[in-house]
Amino acid sequence: MPKKIILIEDEEILINVLSKKLIKEGYEVTIARNGLEGLESMRKEKPDLVLLDIVMPKMGGFEVMEEMNKDENLKDISVIIISNSGQPVELDRAKELGAKDWLIKTDFDPQEVVEKVKNNFK
Amino acid sequence: MVEEKEIDSVKKISTLLEDLLLLEKYIKDLFTFFPLPVCFVSPLGVIFEVNPAFEKFIGYTSYEVVGKPIENFFEKEKIETLTKDVLESGNIEARDMIISTKGGEKVDVSLFGQVRRNEQEETTGFFIGFFDLTKIKKTGKELQDTQVALLNMLEDIEESRKKAEEEKNKTEAIISNFTDGLLVFDDKRKVSLINPQAEKVFNINNKDVVGKSILELSVFPELELIVNLVGPEIKDISRKEIPFKGDLVLEISTIPILKGDGKIGSLIIVHDITREKMIEKTKTEFVSLAAHQLRTPLSAIKWTLRMLLDGDLGTITSEQRDFIEKTYVSNERMISLINDLLNVARIEEGRYLYKPASADMAPIVQFVINSYKDEYSRKKIKLDFKAPENPLPRVLIDVEKIKLAIQNFLDNSLKYTPVGGEVVVSLKSIKKEVQFSVKDTGVGIPKNQQERMFVKFFRAANVLTIDTEGSGLGLFITKNIIEAHNGRIWFESEEGKGTTFCFALPVKEEFTEFLEEF
Repeated sequence: MPKKIILIEDEEILINVLSKKLIKEGYEVTIARNGLEGLESMRKEKPDLVLLDIVMPKMGGFEVMEEMNKDENLKDISVIIISNSGQPVELDRAKELGAKDWLIKTDFDPQEVVEKVKNNFK
Repeated sequence: MVEEKEIDSVKKISTLLEDLLLLEKYIKDLFTFFPLPVCFVSPLGVIFEVNPAFEKFIGYTSYEVVGKPIENFFEKEKIETLTKDVLESGNIEARDMIISTKGGEKVDVSLFGQVRRNEQEETTGFFIGFFDLTKIKKTGKELQDTQVALLNMLEDIEESRKKAEEEKNKTEAIISNFTDGLLVFDDKRKVSLINPQAEKVFNINNKDVVGKSILELSVFPELELIVNLVGPEIKDISRKEIPFKGDLVLEISTIPILKGDGKIGSLIIVHDITREKMIEKTKTEFVSLAAHQLRTPLSAIKWTLRMLLDGDLGTITSEQRDFIEKTYVSNERMISLINDLLNVARIEEGRYLYKPASADMAPIVQFVINSYKDEYSRKKIKLDFKAPENPLPRVLIDVEKIKLAIQNFLDNSLKYTPVGGEVVVSLKSIKKEVQFSVKDTGVGIPKNQQERMFVKFFRAANVLTIDTEGSGLGLFITKNIIEAHNGRIWFESEEGKGTTFCFALPVKEEFTEFLEEF
């Protein structure tokens, strides 16, 4: 059974790049373009991992994690944040909400993101 | 009979003679005794006789005086007039004159003259008598002097009072027109003055607070914050920011009012920095947002290029690869510029240091060096890390920020050292500091530009041509990081020879106060 990943991200190019990479690595990828869509997909798909952006329309990454924590079925799903921001206060808040890792998009190549994903499943 | 008569006559004469002698003696005695100087002068102005008082006064003996013209001893013109007057009118009174004594002294005298005539009413000469005016004059002069001095003093006092009044008015005008709020306390820490600005900010009235001690001021709700800040002793505070009611932000400073070595009062200065803060915040938010928004397309470009390079989108020709690689590098530079801008924005927001923790610098420096090793070897620069021989004392740092500071030093040495150069990194403990330095054999910094090295956006003229991508923010950020840690930052450089950049961080014990602020 391939691992299921939900990519919640609003930037089209990043979605394309990352989903292509992940699919190539053998993961099953579902795409959501905002937080609300993401939560909906999570409830449907029961993913093994969520890649989550922070700044998004409709519902941002932090609210998504808050919702996940309230939901018994979602609160144990691993979350890796991929964001363009990365201020210390934000990192701390994400950690408190249970995020596994935080990647600043400009600091990582897509391959490095894939490595992080792989490590998560080890 | 005749004989008897003759005898009687002789007796009478002798009696008369006797009387005459007695009279002569009486006159002589009187003349001798007379305490005021007196002399007898011929109508031609020659001194005939002087009394002992005259001798004593003038300092000459009668032998030296008698037979001499009177003008030898008195003022010539005046005595000539006097002689004429006394011979004409018979007497004169209280003429002022100056007498020259043998000792060379000039003495003020008041002079009296009286003509003497014989039985035939012929003038035989005149008497001159005088008394010393010096003492009287002196007393008069002293009195006058005292009076003048007194008047001068009174004038001085009046002038000083005026000056003091003027100063007071000036000071009061300055205080009341000062754009900052001012609270003036006396040596007993009681309010002696507050200006209208302070009244306005704290919603208090001058007359309600003057005379009250600093502690008594805490009954005014708006002043409580200030009282808590400065404490009962009105401690020295320099530009402490405090959020006040509403959106108001105040900057409080206290200044001791000193006289000589003693403190005679305190001044609390209340500066309203609300507007500055707002502008600062708006600017920071703008930079932050702009930087954040810029990162999104940059990451899209980065990831796409990377996919192309990784062959995820099909094979590419070597020419295509060459172009894409160059574009990728340019994009990386853009990303680091945006990162610098973000850091600057955060520095200026005042929330740059984050959760300082006790740490050992050695592994941190080693970690950063490792990430640079490849780049140094690519440029054929010899990199030598002089690691400390003994374990270093721990420092209290924001690890990520210190890493950034180290990176900035290494970045510069890498950028500005020509191929084949040498870079020595050292880390050691000196006194109560941990010192980090990066010494290179690079282009150096021109002497006339050295003092601006830590200024935001400044770039030395000689590197503008070497590297066109530098932002001029690296050292500014580094300086802010180090100073936020209570550390020191400096460099030594010679153009054409190389530069050594250093920073020193205080070891942990000295951080207690600093810690409290976080």
